[in-house]
Parts: sequence; C-alpha cells; structure tokens
Amino acid sequence: MSETVFAQQWLGKATSSRARFLGYLTAVAVIVTLPLVFNDTYWRTNLTVCAINVLLAIGLDFILGYAGQLNLGHSAFYGLGAYVSTLLIVKLAVPFWLAFVAGVAFAGLAGTFLSLFAVRLRGHYLAIASLGFAVIVHQILLNWISLTQGPLGIYGIAPPPALVVDGTVIADFRNLTAFFYLVAGFALLSFLLLSQLVRSPVGETLTAIREDEVSAASLGINAAAWKVFAFGVGSAIAGAAGCFYASFVGTLVPDAFFITEAFNILAMVIVGGMGTLIGPVFGAVLLTILPEVLRGLGDLRLVVYGAALTFVVLFIPGGMAQAANAVGERLWRRRSA
Amino acid sequence: MTTTIVLQQAINGIVLGSLYVLVALGLTLIYGVLVQINFAHADFVTLGAFAAYFFMHLVGLGYIPSIAVALIVGAAMGWLINASIFTPLRRKNNELLPLIATIGVSVMMQNLMLAWFGPIPYAFETEFSRHVIRFAGIFVSWQNVIIIVVSALTIALLYVFMKFTFLGKALRAVSQDRETAGLMGINPNFLIMLTFVIASALAGMGGAMLAPVLVLTPFAGTSVIVKAFAIVIIGGFGNVEGTILAGLIVGLIESYTTQFLNPGLIDIVVFALLLLMLAIRPTGLISERREENV
Amino acid sequence: MTRTLRTLCTSVAAIGLLTIGAVAQAQDKTIKIGALFPMSGPGSYFGTQDKQGVELALEQINQTGVNGYKFAVHYEDSACSPLPATQAAKRLIEQFKPDVIIGEECSDATLAVMPIVEQAKVPLLNAGSSSIKITQPGNPWTFRIMPNEVMQGINLAENAYRRMNARRAVLLFENTNAGIGNAQVFKENFTRLGGKVLAEIGFGRDVNDFTAIATRVAGLGEVDVIPTYTLEGQGLKITQALAQAGVTKGGGGNAIQIGTIWLPFGFEQKAGKAALGYIRIVQFDPTDARPVARNFVSAFKAKYNTEPTHLNAHAYDQIMLIADVVKRGGKDPETIREGLAATKNYSGVTGSVEFDKNNQNVKMDTIHYMETKPDMSWVSLKWN
Repeated sequence: MSETVFAQQWLGKATSSRARFLGYLTAVAVIVTLPLVFNDTYWRTNLTVCAINVLLAIGLDFILGYAGQLNLGHSAFYGLGAYVSTLLIVKLAVPFWLAFVAGVAFAGLAGTFLSLFAVRLRGHYLAIASLGFAVIVHQILLNWISLTQGPLGIYGIAPPPALVVDGTVIADFRNLTAFFYLVAGFALLSFLLLSQLVRSPVGETLTAIREDEVSAASLGINAAAWKVFAFGVGSAIAGAAGCFYASFVGTLVPDAFFITEAFNILAMVIVGGMGTLIGPVFGAVLLTILPEVLRGLGDLRLVVYGAALTFVVLFIPGGMAQAANAVGERLWRRRSA
Repeated sequence: MTTTIVLQQAINGIVLGSLYVLVALGLTLIYGVLVQINFAHADFVTLGAFAAYFFMHLVGLGYIPSIAVALIVGAAMGWLINASIFTPLRRKNNELLPLIATIGVSVMMQNLMLAWFGPIPYAFETEFSRHVIRFAGIFVSWQNVIIIVVSALTIALLYVFMKFTFLGKALRAVSQDRETAGLMGINPNFLIMLTFVIASALAGMGGAMLAPVLVLTPFAGTSVIVKAFAIVIIGGFGNVEGTILAGLIVGLIESYTTQFLNPGLIDIVVFALLLLMLAIRPTGLISERREENV
Repeated sequence: MTRTLRTLCTSVAAIGLLTIGAVAQAQDKTIKIGALFPMSGPGSYFGTQDKQGVELALEQINQTGVNGYKFAVHYEDSACSPLPATQAAKRLIEQFKPDVIIGEECSDATLAVMPIVEQAKVPLLNAGSSSIKITQPGNPWTFRIMPNEVMQGINLAENAYRRMNARRAVLLFENTNAGIGNAQVFKENFTRLGGKVLAEIGFGRDVNDFTAIATRVAGLGEVDVIPTYTLEGQGLKITQALAQAGVTKGGGGNAIQIGTIWLPFGFEQKAGKAALGYIRIVQFDPTDARPVARNFVSAFKAKYNTEPTHLNAHAYDQIMLIADVVKRGGKDPETIREGLAATKNYSGVTGSVEFDKNNQNVKMDTIHYMETKPDMSWVSLKWN
C-alpha cells in the first residue's frame, strides 16, 4: 500500500486543498516553460509525444490501478479514437472539434461495452479479452481497406483549426508550441478530472471494490457498474490521445496501434507506479524520452532500453512514485532527526 | 478434387497446429503453476531456432541432434529467467511486474540477436526439407512429418510425466493449490524452477522444429506468440489437454481461412473465436475441476 | 563474445568518428548527408544493407573529395514507421543540419517525413519506396530514383500479357502499403489488356507457412503467372511451397512466378530448384557490363566479401548522385535541390537518372528483367 502514500501526500486526502492548488500551479508553470527551454522542433515534437503518452498512461492507470481491471488492450481505444475522428474529418468533412468529441465518445463506448462483456470475467480473463479485442481492432483497421485505407494509410491529416477570437489568431496549431500547449493542457484537465474522481465517493467505492469485491458487494455497492464506468472513462481518454496523435503526426497507419503499443503504455504505468496518478505521468515521460536520449548508442539503443526497463521493475517494483516517496521519507526523517 | 484440397488443408493445419502447441504448452504450464506470463517465451523460441541452425551448420551432425541442442538452450534460458526475474519478483505478489520485466527482457533479447545474427533471413535447409511424399494428390514434406511425429512424442511424454510420475503429480498439485504441494513434501520453489525449465525447453525445441518452416530472423518467435496466447486462452489457461486441442484447432482455422476466405482474416477469426469462448465458456474447451481462489 | 567486443569497439570508434565529424563540420568544406534508415525491428533488413552501400560510396568519394568538398554521413533510426521517422527526421535536421537527406525505405515513413523536409527546405533523395503518392503530387524537395509502383506495374502487366502470353494470374502480396499498391496496379493493367485475375491473396508479415496458400493456388486450376510481392524471407517460403504443391515450373507445373524489385541477388541460390523460371524485375543487375556497374561489384566484393544486392546498389547510387550534384556546383540544401532537379542522364549502377516535374526518375533502364535458369543463374531478358 506504500505506493499510494506518495499520491496521498501530494494530491490525496492528506494534503490540504491549498497544497493541491499549488501543485497544479506548478504543473501549469512547468508546461508553459518546457517548450521555451526545449526550443527546437525535435524536442518540441518529443514534448508533444510525451503529453500524448501521459494521456494514455493516466487513463490506463485509472482502469488498472484504481478499478483493478487488467486491461492489456489499451492500444485499441487509442486507435479507435484516432481512426474515428480522422475518418469523420477526411470522409465527411466534419469540423475537427466535433470529430474529436465523436472519437472520444466512440472509444469510451467501446471501452464500456468491452467492460460490460468482461465484467463477469476476473483477472486474467479480462486481460485476455482486452488483448483479443485489441488484436481484432488492429486487424479490422488493417483489413477494412474500403473504409480505413488499411495499410495504404491516410496522409496529410491537418492539425486542429487555429483558435481565432474576433478575427485575431490566438493559437495556430501548425505551430509545435501551440500544439504542445493544447495536448498538455488537455492532459492536465484529464488529470484534474481523474484526481477529483479518485478523491470523490466514486474513488472510495472503487478502492473498496479493488480491495475486496465480496465485502464491497455486501455493503450494497454495485461493483460491476462502477468498474464499467471506470473502464469507459479511461478508454475515452485514450480516444482523445488518438485524435491528437492523428492530427499531430499527420499520417495514420494501423500498425501504430498494434498490441505492442498497449504493452508500452502498460510499462509506463508500471514504471511510474500503478495506483498513483502522478507516477504514470513520470513513467510516460521517462519511457518516451529514454529511447530518444539513447539514440547516440546506435545499434545498441534498444538493448539498453530493454535492460533498463527490466532493471527498473526488478529494483524499484513500486515504480518511480514509490522511489520518490522513499527518498522523500528519508529526507524527512533526516530533517526531523 | 475438392476432397483432396480439404484433406490437404487438414494436413497443413495439423502441421501448423503442432508447432503452435509446442510454443503454447510452455506458456500454459507456467501460467498453471504461477498464474504469470513470460513475455520473452517467444524469444526463447527464436533462440532455440538459431541454436539449432548454428549447431547444424557449424558442427554438422545433421538436423535431429540440433533439436536436442535447442532443447538444452531453451532449458537453460528457462532456469535463467526464473532465477533472475520471477524468483526475485515473487515476493512482491503483483502479477504485472514479471510481465513488464519480461517485456524488457524480450526487447533486449531481440536486439541482441539482431546485433549478432543480423536482419537478413536465414535459409534453414535440413536434409528433410526437400523430400516430399506424394500420395493420391496429397503432399507432405518429410520435414513436416518430423514435426508431427516429434511434437506428438513430446506431448505424449509430457502427458505421461504429468499424469503418472510423482513429480508430475506434484506439479499438477501445485498448479491447483500451493499448500497441497507443500504437504506432499516437495519444495514449491523447486517445482516452479522445474516448470520454467520444462516450459522453456519446449520453446527451444519448438524453435528448432519451426526454424525450417519459419522466416528465420531475430523476430521469428514474435510472429507466433500472439497466436500462442490465443491458444492458451481458448484451451483454458493452465490446462494441458485443452491447449493441445486448441492448438490444433487454430492450425486448422489458419489453413481453412486461407483456403475459403483470405489469409489476412486469420487473426480476426481466431480472436473472434477467443472472445466467443470467453463469453460462453470462460473456463476453456476442457474444463477441469478447479476451485476459484482469487 | 568476440562479437560483443567487436560491437563495443565499433560503437566507441563510431562515437570517435562522430566527434571527428563534428570537428570537420567546423570547416566549411563538408557536405553533410543525413541518412534515415530503419535500423531496428524487422525493417533493419533494409537499413543494414543500405548502410553498406553508403559506407562504400563514402570511402570512394572521400579519397579525393569533390570540388574540394568532403562528405560526412549521420545515420538516424527511422524504424520504418511514421512517428519514429518524424522524430528521427526532426532530430537529424535540428542537430546534424544536413545539406541533403537520403532514405527512408518504407513508403509510410517516407510519406510522413516529406512535409518535414519541405518545411525545413532540405532535399530528400529516396530510392526504395514505391508508393505512387510520394511523387504524385509529391513536393519540390522530394526526389525518387526508383520507378514507382505504377511504372513497374504497367510494365510488368504488359510484358506478362504480350511477351509471356499470360491470360490467368493469381496475385500474392503482403498486406502492406507497397504490397497492396503494386498488386492493384498489376491487376488494373492486366485486366485492361484482357487477362483474368483468378484470386488476390494478401497475407500479413507474420504468416510463416505458405503451404496452405500454395494448396489454394493449386486448387484454382491452370494459372499462367503468379505476381508475387513480398520480401526475401516470406518470398523464399512462397517459392518453395508453390513448387512443393506442383504449381510452378520448379515443381513440375506450368505457372511462372513474376515480380518487381523486392528480392535480392542470391535469392535463387537460397530458394534452390524451386525458383526455376522465376521472372522478375531487378533494379540492379550484377551481370551488367557497364564499367560503373562492374567497378561497383568488384569494389563491393573487395570490401564485404559478398555479392552486392539491389539495396546496397540503391544506397551507393544515392550517395554517388549527390556527389555528382556537388560536382555540378551543389553546396547547400537549395543548390543541391536545384542540382538534383537539373540531373540529365546521370548513369548510376542501377541505371540512368533524370527527374520529371514531380521529381520522379523517368528512366526505365533501371528496370532489368531477369529469368532464373536451371543452374540457378540469371539471364537478362532485355525487355526494356
């Protein structure tokens, strides 16, 4: 349970609302400064990829770490969000933000249905059902060529339209910094939403279910409904990440949503610290930046990446959140001593 | 004409199915005992394939001894991954940690093999590849006959071991209930180690059998692993008989989907069957009497 | 073990070279070439071979330099996939500041990189991607040496119909951008001429055993040609399975496998007797008698102790064409772009190069038809 101590200290009940407010203020400041510090197109691209991955990781963490549902197919909702929004824009000329809402809703509904189907299955059966779902979604994207273009791909997807107020352009999303602010801002809002949910009665209910479903049921909690709800929220956030991905990269091919992507997202959650919201944020950033930083190693890059992933799990099994917590505790003890 | 094709595709499907069974059996054994997944299992298959290739080409004793070498290499990897990853992580009591750790191992192994063996596919010709038996319009290569025979023998041996030997019984006991095994007076850690060694030896051997069939590159095993997962579930996690049956069924689905629909649809058909199974019969094809101890 | 040591040593040496490269950049007289190749995952099949060709070309042109310029290459792993290719391209442009970029191989990745090079105003010289979209509409900064899928497909369909008198075809292709694209072009043109396509069988890159597919083809009755679009690994399995099923000449049947630039030289030696009669387009003919090709083959053999493949040749040509542009006065991205566009009848090891208004090479002598003889040797068919 030590993993959650960290979260509680920073954003959970133990903290006053003023400390939380300060935390969010810091987050806003960090988001605003990052693209000013990392001021070339390469690093600004990486920052946006980080923000997209943060969305994926916190959504999965909500399903996995809070509702205790083993979801191994998160790539499916990511892909559905990307394809539904892009196809609406490209084929039916639907305005971007309307298509965005549709993509998010579709991914959320798909998650809800999968969860409804799987709610009577426990542990690994849900894991496998979600894995199977992800394989099927990938295969449909690949084979339904008349709709999705399959492996032929969709190219030249436009970025979101510029934000214009009274004839003046406030944000042009062809600009990388503006795009990063958009995705990072959305990620911060999602984080806010999830952390509110976690601290609300809903969160307590989910924790009760995760700890002991049988006694939760005896308390009159409808475990199934809450789990389905959590799954829907988490997959809707992945859908949003997909919409951003498509308009950011400009190119859409089904292989971007192969099941290995689901394992990558899972690794971000575990490395960051499952069951804390802040951990997966750092897990996502680390696992996005690490392969880029290792580029200098040439052919050995992925060998080192794989080894690093293994060692992190072996030696810091509670993830970065736990490690930070331990360091924090030690400092605290030293100060009080 | 048509019956010939149907029969021919049945043979093709059984050959493929036997290979899938060899890979899937290891996954199912480990799951049965530990309720955990070794994601690097597929890379043990690849390593076994390369071990067989290099033994055959450098030592030159022919194909059959190289299968034994691959088996030993697989067994060694099984011991190694249990000692280095699964044993240290067991105390943490979190089923996802070993999965993620072995994803790291998998990435590492694939890229090390890429550095050593290169990306250009190897042509693994054995003395049996080019000899084809033809009978009444049906053909099967000697290589494929060997695949079926060796797989059947291995599966039979494993079955006898599990059903009739003391260790085998203890293994099955530990997969059903860890305390009972303790009562039988056997160290559960030893049984877990044994499971990894057997499972990975099967993977290594599967690699040697697959090598002449597969496109032999450092990514060869990965192309089989997703299907192996499906087979393990359709067969009922941890259930040996179910896995064998499911493996053969998936092999047949693959050849008949190719014949009557399109090879691009194989995965959709297999995974739709998987979801259907989960919906109507979540315990797998052959259900064992097992208590749910979640 | 020694292999690990060697890899370590080469990495150390590579880092050393990079530092030297960085020093060399300080002096003005270096043309910086960025290389976007897939170096990880299954796509490294391309990257490894491309790198060999690049290294050989560099060695040759840096002996004397061209117009006082030396050449430096920096590689980035673009992983044969859109997002990693985007990241690699931006890193290359920001940190290495190349005068010209070569690569990618996979069409998806090349298409994703194109808007980036256009925005950065750095020319991209591509050899290996076949998708028509790269040059139609294309952009002013992207050039392609290889004939695109349409040029190859029309040519192959016409030759199959007219010269081989083929009327019935079965299409075998991998489910990728290039596989589907090539197969569709063949189908359109073959049926337009009056031929019939009996079946279109697409398969994923994870399919290993092709006996089931060969059985299906065998059950379709008389087939004249089997256009096959897949890479070396799966290609070997297909050719062997088709022969085993008695469909192709190599297995006693009548059908002939045909195809475009996918399989390297040496394929028939690996496939053995099963490849008998296979007719395919290669972009590089190791038996080519032109001096430029002969010199390339002997230099390659001397350096790597093996026969060059079309991928080695592609990469070599990319560097040599850039050297030619520099000789004609190219010295920065803009002048290199202009120089590439003005290329007239450049003679490379794969054939001649001359770009049209969409920057597509129009010279068809880069297409060589080859037939596999009973002794597994090649014979050039001189169909173009």
